[in-house]
Amino acid sequence: MTDCPNGEMRDLLPEYAHGVLGAEDTARVAAHVAACDDCRAELALIGRVRESVTLGVPRTNVAAIVGALPAPRAASGKPALYASPRRDVAWKTWQYAAAAGLVLAVGSGVVWQRTSVGTGARFADSSQVRTSPAPAETTHATAPLTPEDGITFGGGLSDLSLNDLQALLGQMDSLKTLPSTDPQSVTPVIASNEGGKTL
Amino acid sequence: MSDTIREADARVDLALIARWQRGDERAATELVERHAPALARFAVTQGVRDGADELVQDTFVRAFSSLHSFRADSSLRTWLFTILKRLVLDRQRAERRGPQQVELEERHAVQEFNALDGLVADEAMLRVRNAVAHLSPLQREVFTLRVMEGLPYTEIAQVVGSTEGACRVHYHNAMRAIKEYLSDD
Ligand SMILES: [Zn+2]
Repeated sequence: MTDCPNGEMRDLLPEYAHGVLGAEDTARVAAHVAACDDCRAELALIGRVRESVTLGVPRTNVAAIVGALPAPRAASGKPALYASPRRDVAWKTWQYAAAAGLVLAVGSGVVWQRTSVGTGARFADSSQVRTSPAPAETTHATAPLTPEDGITFGGGLSDLSLNDLQALLGQMDSLKTLPSTDPQSVTPVIASNEGGKTL
Repeated sequence: MSDTIREADARVDLALIARWQRGDERAATELVERHAPALARFAVTQGVRDGADELVQDTFVRAFSSLHSFRADSSLRTWLFTILKRLVLDRQRAERRGPQQVELEERHAVQEFNALDGLVADEAMLRVRNAVAHLSPLQREVFTLRVMEGLPYTEIAQVVGSTEGACRVHYHNAMRAIKEYLSDD
């Protein structure tokens, strides 16, 4: 038995045998097979393989398998099918991000000097939240903060690694100038794949 | 394109999963009916004889237990094959007793795959089974997923942990090896 030189047609033979090709490909392969002895022989071999292998396969007990399955989850409207396997990491990241955002938001009046919290610590975009008072029209001795000076918090936080975020939170914990506002009194709702989650 | 048929198939699976998650147990039955025979074929061709049905059951139990982590960007079928392949490997590793056992295991797999030859009355069928059994484990995986299940190379690559290009090469090498085996026999 020789090999047909038409690699594309040979490649499609198993799918042709299974009937999973679209109409156009099915017609192309059928026309080729009709004119090609090699592909006809290979197609017949594919059929023999399928038949011979299937002979030794035990029948599966569908009822037994279904009986062993865990109970279905209660209806919750959760679009679990589209959840990423990294969901837990992503969720933790957002927990850190939300916590950081909260503390930063309530920490107005605190001027943070630029600190090293890893290479990903700086993020600036159009939705920056500044931790300092609005610099506009102020005559503070302190020079208005520029993006180079203050910590800014924007959408790029999700790009931080967990380590970066943990380092950021650790530094925030160590600050003694934080206001006494209890951030836990605020319960923001974070949109996630599983619908609303509260911190 | 065949993708349309496959996509339609995948959508049916997704709809069944959603039904099951809403509490419809009949959807589970449909899912098992759709995929269990292919999983059993795959297990047997990978050298599993005794307990192939248990491995298939374990595959479904594991899959259904973690459906929340199933990503719809790969097909349920691919995911099930991947789980089963891991279970087969785990079982083979557990049975391994020493480094020199690998070669023995491969021979053992060939013997197990052929062990049901008494059921194959047709001599030509027997030869074809032998030809498949003598492929290397990786060739046999790729070849059976392609020939027995009609999987595209993209899905096969995910199951066996390789690339599409490598799987294409394995498939054609396997086909050539089978032809040679049959012509030599
Ligand atoms: Zn041809």
